[in-house]
Amino acid sequence: MDNFEERLVHCFSSVFPGLSEGQIRDASVDSLPEWNSLAAVTLVALIQEEFGVQVSLADLPNLVSFSAVQNYVRHNHVAS
Amino acid sequence: MQQFGTDAMKLIEALAVIQRPFPEHAAPFRAFLACGFTPLHLQTFLTAALRERLAMMRVEISTGLFGDLPGNIERLPIAECDALVAVMEWQDLDPRLGIRNLGGWRVADLPDIIHSAERMLARVEKAICHVANSLPVYVSLPTLPLPPLFTTPGRQASLHELRLRQAVGASAVSLAAHPRIRALNAQRLDEISPACSRLDVQSELLSGFPYQLNHASAMAELFAALVRDATPKKGLITDLDDTLWAGILGEDGVDGISWHLDRQSHLHGLYQQFLASLASAGVLTAVASKNDPALVEQAFEREDLLIGKQSLYPIDAHWGPKSESVRRVLKTWNVAPDAVVFVDDSPMELAEVQAAFPEIECLVFPKNDYPSFWQLLRRLRDVFGKSAISEEDSLRLDSIRAAHTLRYASNGEGPSLDSFLRDAQAAVAVNFGKDKNDRRAFELINKTNQFNLNGKRLTEAAWAAYLDDPGSFLMTVNYEDKYGALGKIAVLLGRIDDGAAAIDYWVMSCRAFSRRIEHHSLRWLFDNFHLQEIRFEYRPTGRNKPVQDFFANIVSAPLPANLRITRMEFFEKCPPLFHNTKVKAAVNG
Repeated sequence: MDNFEERLVHCFSSVFPGLSEGQIRDASVDSLPEWNSLAAVTLVALIQEEFGVQVSLADLPNLVSFSAVQNYVRHNHVAS
Repeated sequence: MQQFGTDAMKLIEALAVIQRPFPEHAAPFRAFLACGFTPLHLQTFLTAALRERLAMMRVEISTGLFGDLPGNIERLPIAECDALVAVMEWQDLDPRLGIRNLGGWRVADLPDIIHSAERMLARVEKAICHVANSLPVYVSLPTLPLPPLFTTPGRQASLHELRLRQAVGASAVSLAAHPRIRALNAQRLDEISPACSRLDVQSELLSGFPYQLNHASAMAELFAALVRDATPKKGLITDLDDTLWAGILGEDGVDGISWHLDRQSHLHGLYQQFLASLASAGVLTAVASKNDPALVEQAFEREDLLIGKQSLYPIDAHWGPKSESVRRVLKTWNVAPDAVVFVDDSPMELAEVQAAFPEIECLVFPKNDYPSFWQLLRRLRDVFGKSAISEEDSLRLDSIRAAHTLRYASNGEGPSLDSFLRDAQAAVAVNFGKDKNDRRAFELINKTNQFNLNGKRLTEAAWAAYLDDPGSFLMTVNYEDKYGALGKIAVLLGRIDDGAAAIDYWVMSCRAFSRRIEHHSLRWLFDNFHLQEIRFEYRPTGRNKPVQDFFANIVSAPLPANLRITRMEFFEKCPPLFHNTKVKAAVNG
């Protein structure tokens, strides 16, 4: 797991503290009842804070799984 | 340069803090966060900041409905809360002052916006004051920029905008005058959260949370600091040469030392002025200087000093180590090292004092370093600042001088203690009114360590609830003698039932030791209520030896946790008392 991924997992575990690393990697809106709108907004704020990535809240509907978030942040993240 | 700023907590850190388990048996601290927006990250940051400060408590924060600040305050379940944190923003005063509402910004709308904001302010103010009669309230006035609804260019203040700010300012003045309302200081917020980096337009429009994360964090940090005010330090010990004044007294002479603009030593004048301000607010100020005492005496005859020698006590000048002076000052003041700040221009002297007293806060006087000097004054104001100045604060130094005389008597160096007390013309005033706004009594319970029955503290809500209990009583004691007044120096909280009193809290200021006021207080209770027995919720702490000694003189050791003293036991051991007694208020307990 590279440093980027480690930081993203840390963001997820801050919002969903009960999950193991494996569960975080598999997490999605469908599989995780705690992934509600409040959790989503908190996750976005954490990602902005951690990676300096401006996440448009309009993109939120697309950020429905760990891998979707990972791809989004990798794509928009300039410098770690 | 020493930095005294506040580091903002990051959201990820805040989440980590609030996910920590609570200590076992943690008492709850229930705050209500009232705001008109979605509390979201502000709630997270506030919970975390409070948990950092109230580590032994179970911090719980509840919130109200979106868009209804006044209603949230009016509906507050007072009995289920320990504090109210009220966060006001412009849109709470009129939705048109926010950006989520499209109610119109036409010129013709502006007078109505101002008018409705004034009415809403009055409603919010009334609701907050109502809550403050039962709970401590912490309030912030609008922190976000006003939207561009005024017709002047942004660089020019619009008359309407000034009227709005005037109304908010007037409301803030009115709120802050209430003894249980504390307003967040906008100037300090400006320093740690720049105005241009507060509003998050996207978040406000899409999620109803208007703050950028740093601003939410800064707000939470300041609120938590207001809720859990650090106990103010009690005394400042200052060096003289190149600190209280510029120059070396032994080399430059009395006329060569300076503190004025024309000698480029104005910082020292500001420092003197600042110390005089602290002294006038009841902060103990003393001198520890390596100097010729006779020369120091002469220097303090200079009439242009901004702090006179009557405000500095003791003035300890000699050629020995500074730590010796500090030790003597602490003994004279009878305060613990952790309640004291030592200021000196010499890092070596600071290190010597710090080594001897690790608990003392040692601060360098940064001569010729203007920004650091400014930071020093800010730091001193923060560590000595208090919400209100009491009558006792202005009496403190005089009472310490009197206590010094008293110790001289009780040490056997002067006349006997009995004879000294007989001649002291002491008068004790007992007040039996239950005043929830008695800040001095509340403060004594929460800061007294030595003569403290059990070391228990009270939150403001618990204090109010205790006094609301019809079975409880609050007894406070004021003292004065021919050496001066000490003001309110003792507090007892308890219950009286069926010929016996149960005391839950009993504290007495260390300034009042050796005057037998503790004996007088119990005698008054026994006599006035015809008591056969007084029970004490006594608990030894690491610091309440004066209480332990007092009880040990009356009942045989070891002292039990639920201590009882019978009328016979007390009067057998009670020494002669010479006080005159006045009852200041009718008994209503």
